[in-house]
Amino acid sequence: MSVGFGNWLDERIGWRKVWDAIFLRKIPKVNWLYTLGSATLFVALLQGITGILLTIYYVPTPDHAYDSVVFITTQVPGGWFIRGVHSWGASAMVLLSVLHMVRVIMYGAYKYPREVTWFTGVGLLLATMGFGFTGYLLPWDQKAYWATIVGTRIAGVAPFIGEPILRIMRGGEDLSAVTLARFFGTHVWVLPTILLLFLGFHMYLVIRLGISAVPGKEE
Amino acid sequence: MNEKERQEYLEQYKKDKEKGVPFFPDILFKDAVISLVIFIALVALAYFVGAPLEPRADPADTSYTPRPEWYFLFLFQLLKYFPGSLEVIGVFIIPSAAIILLIALPLIDRSAKRHFLRRPFILGATILSVIGVLFLTIQSNREIPPPLEVVGGDQTALLYTENCAPCHGPSMTVPESVNLHEVIAQSEHEGMPAWSGDLTSDEIDALAGFIISPAGSQLFTDNCSECHEVAELVASNPIALRESIQLGLEYEPHAELDIPNWSTSISQEQQTTLLNFLVAPDGQRLFATNCAPCHGQSVAFAGGEEQLLETISQGGMHLDMPPWREMLDDSELDLLARYVTDPNSVPEGAETFQANCSSCHGERIPSSEDLETARQIIAEGGGHEMMPVWGEVLTSEQLDALVTYTVAAAEGTSVEVGQELYSQNCALCHGEFGEGGPNPSRAGDIIFPISTEEYLKTRDDFTIRSIIAQGQPNYGMSPFGSVFGGPLDDEDIDALVTYIRSWEANPPVELPPEIVVEVDEDTVALDTEQIYVQLCAQCHGLEGEGGIGPSFEDSQFQDTRTDTQLLNAINLGHEATSMISWGDVLSVDQINEMVALIRRFGSPSVSGLPTPEGVSFASDVMPIFEAECAACHGNFGGWDASTYTSVLGTGNNAPVIIPGDPENSLLAQKMLGTHSIGAIMPPAGLLPEDEIQVILDWIEEGALDN
Amino acid sequence: MEEKEKNQLSRRNFLAIATGAIGAVIGVVMAVPAVAYVIGPALQRRTDENWVRLGSTSKVELGNPTLFKTIVENQTGWIVTEEEVSVYVVTEDGREYIALSNICTHLGCRVRWISDQGQYFCPCHNAAFDELGLVVTGPPPRPLDRYETKVEDDQLYILLGG
Repeated sequence: MSVGFGNWLDERIGWRKVWDAIFLRKIPKVNWLYTLGSATLFVALLQGITGILLTIYYVPTPDHAYDSVVFITTQVPGGWFIRGVHSWGASAMVLLSVLHMVRVIMYGAYKYPREVTWFTGVGLLLATMGFGFTGYLLPWDQKAYWATIVGTRIAGVAPFIGEPILRIMRGGEDLSAVTLARFFGTHVWVLPTILLLFLGFHMYLVIRLGISAVPGKEE
Repeated sequence: MNEKERQEYLEQYKKDKEKGVPFFPDILFKDAVISLVIFIALVALAYFVGAPLEPRADPADTSYTPRPEWYFLFLFQLLKYFPGSLEVIGVFIIPSAAIILLIALPLIDRSAKRHFLRRPFILGATILSVIGVLFLTIQSNREIPPPLEVVGGDQTALLYTENCAPCHGPSMTVPESVNLHEVIAQSEHEGMPAWSGDLTSDEIDALAGFIISPAGSQLFTDNCSECHEVAELVASNPIALRESIQLGLEYEPHAELDIPNWSTSISQEQQTTLLNFLVAPDGQRLFATNCAPCHGQSVAFAGGEEQLLETISQGGMHLDMPPWREMLDDSELDLLARYVTDPNSVPEGAETFQANCSSCHGERIPSSEDLETARQIIAEGGGHEMMPVWGEVLTSEQLDALVTYTVAAAEGTSVEVGQELYSQNCALCHGEFGEGGPNPSRAGDIIFPISTEEYLKTRDDFTIRSIIAQGQPNYGMSPFGSVFGGPLDDEDIDALVTYIRSWEANPPVELPPEIVVEVDEDTVALDTEQIYVQLCAQCHGLEGEGGIGPSFEDSQFQDTRTDTQLLNAINLGHEATSMISWGDVLSVDQINEMVALIRRFGSPSVSGLPTPEGVSFASDVMPIFEAECAACHGNFGGWDASTYTSVLGTGNNAPVIIPGDPENSLLAQKMLGTHSIGAIMPPAGLLPEDEIQVILDWIEEGALDN
Repeated sequence: MEEKEKNQLSRRNFLAIATGAIGAVIGVVMAVPAVAYVIGPALQRRTDENWVRLGSTSKVELGNPTLFKTIVENQTGWIVTEEEVSVYVVTEDGREYIALSNICTHLGCRVRWISDQGQYFCPCHNAAFDELGLVVTGPPPRPLDRYETKVEDDQLYILLGG
C-alpha cells in the first residue's frame, strides 16, 4: 500500500530521484568532525522552531517586551523550555559554526572545487552573528539594553559611514521603541531570509560537489 | 592549482567516493547521534540554568556595566587596546580585514596541498587566530569584574561610581595609613583631580568610608538611610555612632523609635563594617570631633608617631607614668609642681624636669592650673585623665589617619609655610593679622577681620579653602587656586588654611588701632547692632528710616515680607540694586539676628536697640553645652551635660548649679577659673565670654528649663 | 561474501532504525512542550474564585434593588486590566441578600432598575425583568445571573469567578 502510494507520488513529483540524490549518495570515508556541519544545521532548525514559537507570545515594544518574556518564562506551560533552548541554542549555533569552519580550514575543504561553498559558509557565519546581535536586545532587560547601546556605538566608530550606520541601526539618535522594532524585524524576517538563501545554496553545493575527503598526508 | 592538478583531484575524489558509504543511514546516523548529544545538552542547560533575564531595561541607570554576549567579548576586549583615536583600528579596520581575509581564503590559498601539515602558513594563522580570540575572551572575563551592584538608595556607591569608578574600577584597595580624605580632596597623584572643588567635605569622607568599607555603605543604605543622611552621620561623633549601634534600643535618641535593635539585628562583624564606613579616616575631622573638645584646636605633640599611636589607642590607660612620690622626695615634688604650674617662677625646676619628665613629655611642659593638682598628678601618676580608650573606638585606619594628622600638624611646618604665603598673597588686603581694612578694589567698602573667633568658628576648612581657591569676585577678591587660574596649588592653599586656622586658638593680639576703634572694646566679634550700623545703615539709615534702600519703619515694607524673604534678601542680595549678597560676610545666625533687628524697626514702640530678653535653656544654653561639654560630659561619667535634668542633677560634686547664684555654682566657677578643685573647663581654655555670660545669666535667672 | 553483504545489510537496517528513533525522541521531546506552549494558556480557566466586597449592608434599601459598583482587577497574559462590576442587591428582610448581575442575559446590554415600574429594563430589546431578575417580557433566555453572597461584619461580599 505504502509502496503503491510511493510509486503513485513518484510518478507525479519524482521524489525518488531527489531522495537518491540526497540520501543514497556515496560519501567518502570521513570522521566524526564531519558531523559539525550537520549539527549546526540541526541547531539552526531548532532555533527556527523555538523562535517561531516565541513570537506567539513575544511583543516587540519597550512597554511589553520584558513583561511578555517574563510571561513566557514563568506563566506559559513549557515556556521556560522553549526560551531556554532558544537562548542556549544561539550560543551553540555560534560555537558549532566556528568549529565547523575551523574543520574546513584544517582539511583544506574550501579548495577547488568548493570555493563557492566556502563563500556561502562565511555568509552563514555572519548571518549567525547577526542573529546573535539582534536577538540579544529583544528581552529588553538591562543587559540587552546596555550591551546594544555599546554594540551600536561600536559600529558608529567606523569612519565616514559610522554615524549613518549608527542612526540606521538605532532608527534615530537613541535606543528606543524604533530600535526594538527593527531589531525584531531583522531577527525574525530579514536574517532568516538571508540565512535560508545561503543555507539552500550551501546545501545544494554540498550535495552537488560531495563533502571533501579527509586529506592524506601526501595531499 | 593547475588544470592537471584539478583533474587529478577530481579523479582521486571519485575513487574515494566509491570506496565510501551511503549518506543514509551511515553518515546520517552519526549526525543524528551528535544532534542528540547537543539536544540533550541544550535541554539540560535550559532546565538547570534557564535563559538569563536581568531586571527590566532602565535607561536612567548609568551605573550598569554593559557586557555583550560571550561570542562578542573578544571584539569588546580588542577595543580596550585601541584607546582614543586609534579606536577605529580596533572597531573597524581589524574586524573588516578579518572578514575580508576569511571570505577571500580560497582565493589566497590556491595550492593543491590539502593536508594541514603541508600548509604551515594557514595552519599557523588559524591557530594564532583561535588562540587570539580565546585569549581576548578569557582576558575580558578576567578584567571586567562583575557589575557593581548599586542598589537604589546607596548614595555613596553612586557617588563612587560617578566620580571614582571610571578610573579606579568598581572597587579599590588602599595601603594602610593613607589619609584617604586628603588624597581625595587634594589629588595625590597625576591625572587625578582635586575633588575638594566639586565635592563637599562630607561627601569626601563618605567616599573615603566607602572605599574602605563598601559593604558598610550597603549596610547603611539597608539599615540607616531611611532616617539618616550619609553626610549627617559621617560628620558626627564616632563615640555616639558606636553607642547607637551597640546599645541598641538603650541608645537614648533611638529609644522611642520603632526601629530594629541594632545591637542584635546586625552582627558584630557588620557593626564594625558599618562603623568603618561611617567614620572615615579623615585625620583632621577625627581630631576636631574627638580630640579638640579636650585638647583644643592647636595641635601639640612632641613624640614620634608610634608613641602617639600608642597613647591614643590606649587612651586613659596610656599613662604609665609612675607614682613619683616613690622616687622623689617632697621638696622635689613641690619643685616640679611649681615648675609645671609656672615655669618662670622656678627656673631651677627645669633641671629636675629634664631629668625625670622629658623622656616622655619632651620639651612640652604639661601645664597645670594650680599647684595642688599638679602635685597630686605627679605624686600619684597613672591614669588621671578621662581620656577614652580610642583603640576600642576607632579602627586602625582611623587611628593611623589621626596620628598622621596630629604629628604633621604638631610639626607646624604648614603653619610656617602658610604664614609666608599669607604675607605674600593675603596680607595686602586682609592685613598682616587678618584684621581687614579698607577694600582696595571697592571704594568705601571695608574688608572684615578674618581672624576673629567668630569668623573662624562659623567657617569650616572646606569653606575657607573654597574661598581662597575660587575667590570672591563679588567683593573684588580674585581666585587664588591654580585650578581657577590663580598662583596657589592645593598644598599652598592647605598651608594657608592651616595658618588661618591657627588664629582660632589664639586670635592675634595686636589689632591695628583703626579697627579697634570700630570694634567694641569688649568683644572681638561684632554684635548685630554694630553690624547694622556699619553695613546696613549706609543705605537703610541709622534708625532704619531708609535712604538708598527702603525704610524699615515703613509698615508696608514689614507687612509684605516674611522673615524668610528678608533672610534671603540679606543672604543673596538683590540683583540690579546696590543690595549685595551678605551671605559670605555674615553667618546665618548673624543674618537671623539681623532679620529680628529689622523687625524691631517696624514696631514703633521699640527703638533700634533691643531690650535683652530672658535666656532660654533650650535655645541658648543647651547649644553651648552640646558644642563645648557634651563630647566628654555624658559619655564618661561625672557631670552629664546632655539633658536639663542631668545638667542640674548629676556630677561628682552635684549639684553643679545653684539656681540664682552663679558665683557659688561649681559650673560657673569651673568656666571662669575661680574654682578650687580640678581643672578649668573646658580643658582647651576659656569659653568665649559671650557664651560664659549666657550661662551665667541663665543661672542668675533661676536656671529654668525654658 | 554473501555473509558480509548480509551483515552489511542488517547493520544498515539497524542504523536506519536507530537514526529514526533518535529523530523520534528529539521530535517528541520538542513537540510535547511546544504543543503545551501553544495551547496552554488557551486551556487555562480562570480558577481564582474570590470574594469581592461590595460595601455596607446598611446601604441596601429594603425591597428596593440597590446598585453597587466595584472595581475588579483582571489579569490577561501579562497585562492587568481593571474592570467595573455592577451588581443590583435586593433584600426583602435585611438578612437574605440577592445579588443580581446588571448584564442582560440576552445580548449583554446593561439593564437598569426603573423604580416606577418595579422592573429592570434592558434598553437594547425592551426586555424587562422583575425585582428578583425573572424575565417578565422580551427575548432574554433566562433570568438575570445571580452571585453568591455573604455578609461579614455588616459588609456585603459577592463571589466572583468560578
